[in-house]
Amino acid sequence: MRNSVLFFALAAGLCAQALSRKVDLPADSPVTLVSDDWGDTGATARGGAFFVDVHASLALRNTSQRHVHGITLSVSSQEVTPGGKGSVSVPSLDAGPGDVFSVRIDLRLLHPTGTGAAVAVKLDGVLFDDLSFYGPDALHSRRTMTVWELEARRDRVYFKKLLETAGRDGLQKEVIASIARQADRTQPGVQMVRGRATNADPEHDLAFAFLQIPESPVEPTSGLAKISGNEAHMPRFEVRNRGDRPVRYLEIGWIVKDQQGREFLAASMPADVSVAPGRAGQVLEDAALRFSTPVESMSAFVSTVGFADGSYWIPTRATLNDARIRKIISPSPEEQRLTQIYLKKGLPGLIEELKKY
Amino acid sequence: MKEQYNMTAHFSETDLALFVSGDLSLWRGAVVRFHAAHCERCRHLTQEFRADRERLRRVASELPASLDWDRLAAEMTANIHLGLSAGECVAPRRRKSPALSWRPAAIMAGAALMLAAGWWLNMPPSTTKALGRALTAVIHGPSGVADDRGMVVSANDKGIELRENGTSLGISQGSAPPLSVSVSVQGSASARYIDTETGQVTITSVSYAQ
Repeated sequence: MRNSVLFFALAAGLCAQALSRKVDLPADSPVTLVSDDWGDTGATARGGAFFVDVHASLALRNTSQRHVHGITLSVSSQEVTPGGKGSVSVPSLDAGPGDVFSVRIDLRLLHPTGTGAAVAVKLDGVLFDDLSFYGPDALHSRRTMTVWELEARRDRVYFKKLLETAGRDGLQKEVIASIARQADRTQPGVQMVRGRATNADPEHDLAFAFLQIPESPVEPTSGLAKISGNEAHMPRFEVRNRGDRPVRYLEIGWIVKDQQGREFLAASMPADVSVAPGRAGQVLEDAALRFSTPVESMSAFVSTVGFADGSYWIPTRATLNDARIRKIISPSPEEQRLTQIYLKKGLPGLIEELKKY
Repeated sequence: MKEQYNMTAHFSETDLALFVSGDLSLWRGAVVRFHAAHCERCRHLTQEFRADRERLRRVASELPASLDWDRLAAEMTANIHLGLSAGECVAPRRRKSPALSWRPAAIMAGAALMLAAGWWLNMPPSTTKALGRALTAVIHGPSGVADDRGMVVSANDKGIELRENGTSLGISQGSAPPLSVSVSVQGSASARYIDTETGQVTITSVSYAQ
């Protein structure tokens, strides 16, 4: 009996490995680590590799003189092979100088055997209230967080204006409608693979329809993807810059309607481009999307445009109030935060939050 | 004990009788034949045995003229029934089952456990899944869509995942389901989670393009 207990204890010891953990912030970082709680973070040996389960909560202090409005941390168990790296971002922050805020990390990563299991958290970027940025930006977090910040400003302005024009009842009605839309949204499963997945079914071209957004500085003029069974691949778009500034970045929302009649945002298609004012450009990606049911039709819209001067265009709130777009597009992180504040603190809590900005 | 053949000694009458009836083994029959060809006594005995067999065959072939085949069949049937009835009076013979000790069973179970543990600890999960898929394909035939081959970014209501050949490489695992998920065709997926107490939104991403 004693031998059995020793055997199982030894087996458990072999499976659960010691894990080295560190938070690595640059010396001139605008945030410093106040405390870190790694909870039940651990590594488990499995099939020639470690699964590193990271469950951590970091408390960070804003040591700069500006308000921090967003932060992105890279979380890695190893740098090279896929699966060893993830990231955690917190948008819609408002941490003033000296304020402490927390970042929650819940990720599973892969670490090859041969070296000790380790997890390292590094700073990828901090976005400030004036849209300035600090960090290596290895994950393009500057662009992502800037867009989130622009969406947050747009939505706060919208709700504040609604409060002014329609009063408390109007604001409450809109927030409740937003909560209902978030609850009704479904996300059918999507798988994305680079290149074409193996599929024995014959393929055909399917053209994209486009959601009309008149104020968009970039207009999609045509688009095609190859359809094969439950799979759509090789999306290709022709676009035209109808603004007066050179465009360097573009993000297209790819909407799919399946044969069950469900219409949903299947994927986003970011692309670095160079399109001069009045000129046309092309966006294509060697990727495939797989769905649970065959594709009936597809549509697309330009969701973000980045200009050569570093500024960005995002759809206005009026565009997003279109019934079809509202149903498909996920609300911004800020709208989700504000509706959660309403759920937790009620209308007075929401109004108080809006008054902070 | 190894059987020895002495070519100078005579064979027994039993061996010679069996040789004549063709019931000796091929090798022993050849030895007897060789010996009888050179031994007067044994050759004589084998000729006598052959003559006896011939006489017996002749007698046996001459059936009595009064033989009643029907009666003979009835007697045989009755004898068979009698034998069966007698057999039922005797307690059924217990079939002796081979004694299976617990030790071999325990050894086999231990070996199977070690094999399973060795596989689980050393073989990549992708190999196990690939083997499972191959077996499934053998049993059910190949499917139209080849799922989980290569690097796959997956997103659904429950969260996001990065997989390679069916093995999970990276996954977001918040305590609650995500508010929303999104996929980028550049090879990443993101999941939004919200802290219901503070309202803080956290966006977790996995990617193979980082």
